[in-house]
Amino acid sequence: MATASTAATFRPSSVSASSELTHLRSPSKLPKFTPLPSARSRSSSSFSVSCTIAKDPAVVMADSEKIKAAGSDPTMWQRPDSFGRFGKFGGKYVPETLMHALSELETAFYSLATDEDFQRELAEILKDYVGRESPLYFAERLTEHYRRENGEGPLIYLKREDLNHTGAHKINNAVAQALLAKRLGKKRIIAETGAGQHGVATATVCARFGLQCIIYMGAQDMERQALNVFRMRLLGAEVRGVHSGTATLKDATSEAIRDWVTNVETTHYILGSVAGPHPYPMMVRDFHAVIGKETRKQAMEKWGGKPDVLVACVGGGSNAMGLFHEFVDDTEVRMIGVEAAGFGLDSGKHAATLTKGDVGVLHGAMSYLLQDDDGQIIEPHSISAGLDYPGVGPEHSFLKDVGRAEYFSVTDEEALEAFKRVSRLEGIIPALETSHALAHLEKLCPTLPDGARVVLNFSGRGDKDVQTAIKYLEV
Amino acid sequence: MSSSKIQVRGQPLLRVPARNHRMTHLVVCGVSTKRHHREINALSSNSGPSLDSVPTRTDKRQFLRGDGNGKFGRFGGKFVPETLMSRLIELEDEFNFVRCDHEFQEELTTALRDYVGRETPLYFAERLTEHYKNIVPTIEGGPEIYLKREDLSHCGSHKINNALAQAMISRRLGCSRVVAATGAGQHGVATAAACAKLSLECTVFMGAADIEKQSFNVLSMKLLGAQVISVEGTFKDASSEAIRNWVENLYTTYYLSGTVVGPHPCPIIVREFQSVIGKETRRQAKQLWGGKPDVLVACVGSGSNALGLFHEFVGDEDVRLVGVEAAGLGLDSGKHSATLALGDVGVYHGSMSYLLQDGQGQILKPHSVGVGLEYPGVGPEISFMKETGRAEFYTATDEEAIQACMRLSRLEGIIPALEASHALAFLDKLVPTLRDGAKVVVNCSGRGDKDLDTLIQRGMPSSFC
Repeated sequence: MATASTAATFRPSSVSASSELTHLRSPSKLPKFTPLPSARSRSSSSFSVSCTIAKDPAVVMADSEKIKAAGSDPTMWQRPDSFGRFGKFGGKYVPETLMHALSELETAFYSLATDEDFQRELAEILKDYVGRESPLYFAERLTEHYRRENGEGPLIYLKREDLNHTGAHKINNAVAQALLAKRLGKKRIIAETGAGQHGVATATVCARFGLQCIIYMGAQDMERQALNVFRMRLLGAEVRGVHSGTATLKDATSEAIRDWVTNVETTHYILGSVAGPHPYPMMVRDFHAVIGKETRKQAMEKWGGKPDVLVACVGGGSNAMGLFHEFVDDTEVRMIGVEAAGFGLDSGKHAATLTKGDVGVLHGAMSYLLQDDDGQIIEPHSISAGLDYPGVGPEHSFLKDVGRAEYFSVTDEEALEAFKRVSRLEGIIPALETSHALAHLEKLCPTLPDGARVVLNFSGRGDKDVQTAIKYLEV
Repeated sequence: MSSSKIQVRGQPLLRVPARNHRMTHLVVCGVSTKRHHREINALSSNSGPSLDSVPTRTDKRQFLRGDGNGKFGRFGGKFVPETLMSRLIELEDEFNFVRCDHEFQEELTTALRDYVGRETPLYFAERLTEHYKNIVPTIEGGPEIYLKREDLSHCGSHKINNALAQAMISRRLGCSRVVAATGAGQHGVATAAACAKLSLECTVFMGAADIEKQSFNVLSMKLLGAQVISVEGTFKDASSEAIRNWVENLYTTYYLSGTVVGPHPCPIIVREFQSVIGKETRRQAKQLWGGKPDVLVACVGSGSNALGLFHEFVGDEDVRLVGVEAAGLGLDSGKHSATLALGDVGVYHGSMSYLLQDGQGQILKPHSVGVGLEYPGVGPEISFMKETGRAEFYTATDEEAIQACMRLSRLEGIIPALEASHALAFLDKLVPTLRDGAKVVVNCSGRGDKDLDTLIQRGMPSSFC
């Protein structure tokens, strides 16, 4: 694997090095980059880094300067700038062999953004195949549940991404990236998957567009998620088991990268979240931004205004960015992300990256991540596989740092309670990921003024979690 | 807790608590109910018109839709014990009222849009169309296949259209409790969901054999707050048990029928609420190609999704209506659910229709890999369509359905329910007979996530890695 230029302080880890890492189950896209022994050792409190790709000098900022530099006017923020950075987060920490593919992707993305044929084709597929637009549903009984004794309380609306084809928001991005790949003349799609949801979404769109589809999955995960493996195969995808390392997601990721580097001319890598190297965070966000755009229109139709609060669960951060992006410039709209606190923030078994993590480089981007004092990735835990990620999209890290969005966390238990509550009150079974956002309403709603309109991104349906939930719940 | 608006007719809308007793002697939509009752009583007290005669009318369209008393030619009717008669009349009155009631319709439309996710797309299945072009070479290009995507509805099938609307009616009637019977579980899940949303107690009866095959749906119902009661046998036995339960709790309980069988007014109520499928299809066809579909294809168990699609087009004689039943292990095997192909006319579950019965009139046990098609009877309106020749009915075997399921998954990335797969299977025989450019609309009545276990048990073909 080619190394970066002479000023490199980072180089990609080899496969053998990564096997020393603790057992990971993250939906990561690229191997973790570890510093060379000669480089200054990265302590968990230090966040000064020199980026080999960037042409700007290294930036070291104190907290108070961060916000001043970003400016309090969101419209002045570059999200991202030309190097793919959101403030100091993001970037393109990848081996030289992938640089061309990423530039090609970026160029294609920008040109297709203004390509009317592409936009029309995408809109048609989102409408007729995916089933958009998804409704903005007034949750009457949930609103009733949060009504206070004096009759006051917020109004809860659910953005129904669960009604999309395949049952989650993931397809918005998968469909667009598959179309983009076709435009690029790529006939081969690869992806990696942990629990299988991203794999299923990818296999689905590949079937639809007649593209060859290869999904890399850790052999251990394949055993645990046999139903999803079957689904992917039924959809015509090839599921390749990865037996190296701990045979889970991070190993599947390494294999996928290896494949991409080898076949970059013919192959497109469908990344499932707003993480990874530029242009992926921007691209995936923009492909999901239809969620927020529709919400604005629907809010105007329903109550002639904007939402007051947006709430979404955050794993890698794609469904949250999809909802938030449209409203970032509307400073009166509050944005709340909810991460997974697993067994509790003090238990050491959680995935609350923005609450408990530190800044570092993971999977090609600078962002918050769960790391120990030696810069090793801490294995995350959440009852919901989709939130079980030790990193987070760089844009979320940026929004947290500049104070534009607030981030909280919710335990497995609280999420399960919310899962049960919403099923019973509204007759909609939420995904366990979504249940985290729903659980946060318990703490949020008592603080909101009467009539405040809350839009919660109902990012997925819970059919896939019924078996898991039943084990824990008294039904 | 929730606002149940019970309309007391002739008075402005009041917020009244549940269990409000309705007045039944007022005028409904300009038609006196008293006269209506007399006609109903006349029907139920004798055997009606001779079984051999099919009455003719001058207006063929009207004839094809059946009369307002639940008779479709010689089929249909109200073969029920006296105890149920008044309840059925009350239900019919309420149904006729809500049909014209602006507020009910608006509430229903909003719920269908925001809760269920309507309208469902009319999706051009490009790769499936291409597949048939390649195996049936024609000069111009063969027919075009469109899928009506009921699989995208909340709960994953068309069942919710009806469950939601009827749950709304049950609240209006002052019931606090809903009972239902379910085969595959789709109707059970839809009913449980609708009841949760409308804060109604829900009890679902399900055959023990079905509970085993569809455990995922059973768990879903429980999560949605419903009570699931196991009944020895299959759907037909669960239905009987549910009706028994209803009769024992007549004034607190609403029996939510999932399909177009049963005594009048159940078939027309369910058909009416499912007809949104056909109405949307007409509009979407107009937008997409400026015309009507040439052929409509739907699977037929008892017939609710089929009638939901067909009903709108019954009067359009240039639109072919094709229903596909389950041939199970083959029509000669004795293990199938091909009621119209192999059944005889009789009375079952309150109405006259075709049904699978032996020489002594005992109901035969049906079989299909698509559990939702496993019903020994069929809706009376469907029987009528067969008899008048307005619709054509064919069958597809378990194997053909499974192949069709796998084909759609591979070609379009949509995993259809095994029930809907029967309709898709029939395309193999249908497509070669159609002219180029013919527009075929197939009702993709549900998604196949619930059938993955069945497909796994059947084993993967060698073409998959």
